[in-house]
Amino acid sequence: MDWMIGKSIPRKEAEEKVTGSAKYTDDKSDAQMLHVKLKVSTHAHAKIKKIDTSKAEKVTGVHAIIVGDSLPLTGTDIKDRPILAYKKVRYFGEPIAAVVAEHPYIAKQAAALIEVTYEPLPVINTSEEAMKQEATLIHENLATYQKTDKVFPEANTNIANRVKVRKGDIQKAWLQSHITIEENYIIPPSDHTAIETRSAIVEIKPDGTVMITSTTQAPYGIKSEFSETFEIEEGKVIATTPLVGGAFGGKVTTQLELIAYIASKAVNGKCVKLTYTREEDMLTAPVRMGIDAKVKLGATTDGKLTAAEITYFIDTGAYADKGTLLTKAVAATCTGPYKIDHIRCDAICVYTNHPYITAYRGFSHSEILFMFERAMETLAKKLEMDPLQFRKKNAIVKGNTSPTQTLLNESSVGNLPKCIDQLQDMMNWKEGVIIPIDERKIRVKGICCSWKTSTISGASSGVVLLFNADGSVNILSGIVEIGMGTKTILAQLLAERLKMDINNIHVQMDVDTKTIPEHYKTVASRGTLLAGRALLKAADDAVEQLRDIASRVLTCSPEDLEVGYEKVYVRDDPTTYVYIKDVCYGYQYSNGHSIGGQVIGKGNYTIRHLSHLDPKTGKGKTGPEWTVGAQGVEIEFDRRDFTYKILKAFSIIDIGKVLNYKAALGQVMGSMSMGLSHASAEAYEFQEDGTMNIPKLRTYGPLRYGDHPEYIAKFIETAHLDGPYGARGVGEHALIGMPAALGNALSTAVGVELNQLPLTPEMIWRKKVGDKFL
Amino acid sequence: MIPYNFQYYQPTTIKEATNLFQSLLQENKSPIYFAGGTEVITLGRMNKIVTDAVIDINNIPACHILEQDDTWLTLGAALTLTSIKEMKKFPLLEKVVSEIADRTSRNKITLGGNICANIIYREAVLPFLLTESYAVIATKHGLKERPFHELFDQTLQLREEEFLVQIKVATKDLSLPFFTVKKRRQWGVGYPLLTIAAILKETHIHTAYSGLYAYPFHCEKVDAQLNKPNTEQTKRIERALQAFHKEILHDIHGSDTYRKFVLKNVLTDVIDTLKKG
Repeated sequence: MDWMIGKSIPRKEAEEKVTGSAKYTDDKSDAQMLHVKLKVSTHAHAKIKKIDTSKAEKVTGVHAIIVGDSLPLTGTDIKDRPILAYKKVRYFGEPIAAVVAEHPYIAKQAAALIEVTYEPLPVINTSEEAMKQEATLIHENLATYQKTDKVFPEANTNIANRVKVRKGDIQKAWLQSHITIEENYIIPPSDHTAIETRSAIVEIKPDGTVMITSTTQAPYGIKSEFSETFEIEEGKVIATTPLVGGAFGGKVTTQLELIAYIASKAVNGKCVKLTYTREEDMLTAPVRMGIDAKVKLGATTDGKLTAAEITYFIDTGAYADKGTLLTKAVAATCTGPYKIDHIRCDAICVYTNHPYITAYRGFSHSEILFMFERAMETLAKKLEMDPLQFRKKNAIVKGNTSPTQTLLNESSVGNLPKCIDQLQDMMNWKEGVIIPIDERKIRVKGICCSWKTSTISGASSGVVLLFNADGSVNILSGIVEIGMGTKTILAQLLAERLKMDINNIHVQMDVDTKTIPEHYKTVASRGTLLAGRALLKAADDAVEQLRDIASRVLTCSPEDLEVGYEKVYVRDDPTTYVYIKDVCYGYQYSNGHSIGGQVIGKGNYTIRHLSHLDPKTGKGKTGPEWTVGAQGVEIEFDRRDFTYKILKAFSIIDIGKVLNYKAALGQVMGSMSMGLSHASAEAYEFQEDGTMNIPKLRTYGPLRYGDHPEYIAKFIETAHLDGPYGARGVGEHALIGMPAALGNALSTAVGVELNQLPLTPEMIWRKKVGDKFL
Repeated sequence: MIPYNFQYYQPTTIKEATNLFQSLLQENKSPIYFAGGTEVITLGRMNKIVTDAVIDINNIPACHILEQDDTWLTLGAALTLTSIKEMKKFPLLEKVVSEIADRTSRNKITLGGNICANIIYREAVLPFLLTESYAVIATKHGLKERPFHELFDQTLQLREEEFLVQIKVATKDLSLPFFTVKKRRQWGVGYPLLTIAAILKETHIHTAYSGLYAYPFHCEKVDAQLNKPNTEQTKRIERALQAFHKEILHDIHGSDTYRKFVLKNVLTDVIDTLKKG
């Protein structure tokens, strides 16, 4: 019987949040603080001929105006991005100048008075345009940029990276294929729209120590990036992160922190704050990838997948940032979760004049799965096979290999066939996929399979456990609480291990890189694995210390002692014990002699055996375990209007082990809603010149209250043996199948292949009858 | 954040408000009347409304009136859309306003504010274009009443110092059979592709639209085609579609051709609902 595992423990920060007392970055304020506002580009691609700041400088209350000369280049794999645009702008909304003033509105007034003279350049609006032989180069000096040795930008082109996967013998496989399909897909860039917009506060102390507070998912990344970019010793960069109001990958890139730093430097290190408005957060900050693809699949007549040949074009926008790593992730999971022995995939990362991209919940997997699972549906139709049976027949299982040729076992890949079976029952599949309602409306079902592992390397986490004199414990972990509840999970893991009351476990919510052990980045659904394992190791360390002191009190060997239920007790005689509170700060004998001291448990964890991908074949291992799932939607479709309602959304996920039922349910329901929102409505719409209407929530529509379907989730538990108590990552996995499931349902309903997002009624109408109506 | 300073006034009488407006003008200020404040805030922060003085009409009792007798329903301009939605007196208006913005915003947006807004949709106008309605206007010479449809041409035609105090609707028109629907690009909150409001007076259908042009309107020629005697329904709709003389909006919510497709279906629903029901 589990003590604490699986229980729906309310979040440790819940009371703060529901009472409104929780403090986020922008809540920190004082009268001395100065404020930064940006002047951003009104062109998508142009030379900057002149920046005239003279009028802005005259505004009372302005302390400094910074423009982009003599600033270092930044970026993740390729240092291609100026902190403020220098000599040219490469996307609409790119920061050009920063104004530091006594009040945000003064800074805003002054920024509006900065006059920029542009000389427009030809605009690259699509991957296809970017790939043309004679295409305008967005980065003329691509070959000269600093970069890591794991990316391969191609000089004198717009290609920032190319990752290849070559598995099996594709030519032979086509000969064995009886039926093939080939389809093109397109997904435009979109946004994260976290409730909290990005914000950063920077101050440079007289001794040169740089204090950064920001809405980041990667405070330790800021520490190393600042140190490297500005040549500051690491110990003098202190990044702190309070609670973060949603991030979804969008807060993993360091952008406004860098601007706030140069702004602070321009005012002698005074404390400055830069908070993006919603419009700036959507326009200037990095966005979610756009991608298009050509997918060719082959199968035998009895429905066995034989080959997959795919080219993905990842639209990284104006700068490479996370685009190059996303390209690796696209290649590494280039297919759906199926046994396919012959794969050829090229994932090509191209520069365009769009806002640059960063991670988004699912790290490219929902995009890939939309394309691949739509292709699977088209192939099932051509094979005249039930789409669910077709998937089950080809489902990846232990003993198969991944696209990058990693041999999978039950621990690493879970149980997809079981997920498919459960989905079949829960969606009442035998009833059929199209059920007439009346002369206009039909109820239609669509499904898909999903899988994801992480694409990370060198990821580690440390945890420190500090005992208090009353026997309670403080957990110190560098995980940022971005709303997913992992810090509560850590408390549950510790409560389980020490069989103690979870109310006596206190979790440090704010992260401070000076005092809290490093946690890689709060990304990729890796918090529970990395920090969970580190915590269990720290708990073992603390247990050993407790047993050591208690053994002297109880005059026995430490090996005979157990820790639990607030006591250290003799294993075969629990009536002989000492309370933890009496030994966790050392012990004082009756004669006054003292031994021991405060118990401080420490532990760390690094994911083992990950490898780089072979540049020729893509062979390698990018992540530890896969989380697999089967997902579906049931919609009501109006055949006259081409409008639809999503009635139900289903996710059957092999989660390994449920650690906190309601927290897991929250992750799954929340991510399903994000997936459906993206699939049905969200996109940036660029004009021909690469500009767009200023994006705002009035016109960019995430699902609102009242738009949601009924969310139905079920968990399968196939243990991931490396995970804490067998758990797998689940922060993103219910999102990634939703666009495909919706696309499949709607394509079935309309009888036309819908191969692009978002799936708006107008798009569906256009595919079906648009031309005829005209 | 509004990037400019402005003065804020709370007059308690209509006279005080119009006097204040004129004296502010004489001081070379550019005052605006203010009720719910949603536009001043949302357009102000983007520098699309710039003012140095706002006159809040919320403390003027006449602007909050909600009264009905045998002949008139009188609605104060400062009533919020939420209170209009919940008044249970004029079902067409209640339904139309219930689709504007979202609940939180409707708690602030006022009837007069929506009618006199910068936003192009202003759907609260539609029911008053279809019924016997009067606008009660504060002028520098006191109150005046004008038929709503006469005063409304793309916008409510007010002199700069005037403001809308109340709207009166004939009680006999409140319970006419009606049909209204708001069609969006996707999902249940947001701006319209088009909003239609329609009523049946005796045997005649009267329609008014938002989202097709950059302003709400009622068009006699469209209604004439819709009501054409001895003509097949599909013909009437075809001809009505041709009677929309101006270019239909084409924007991020939807193309002009898609809007026409939606409009065609909606007109079918109007006739089906009002003639069969």
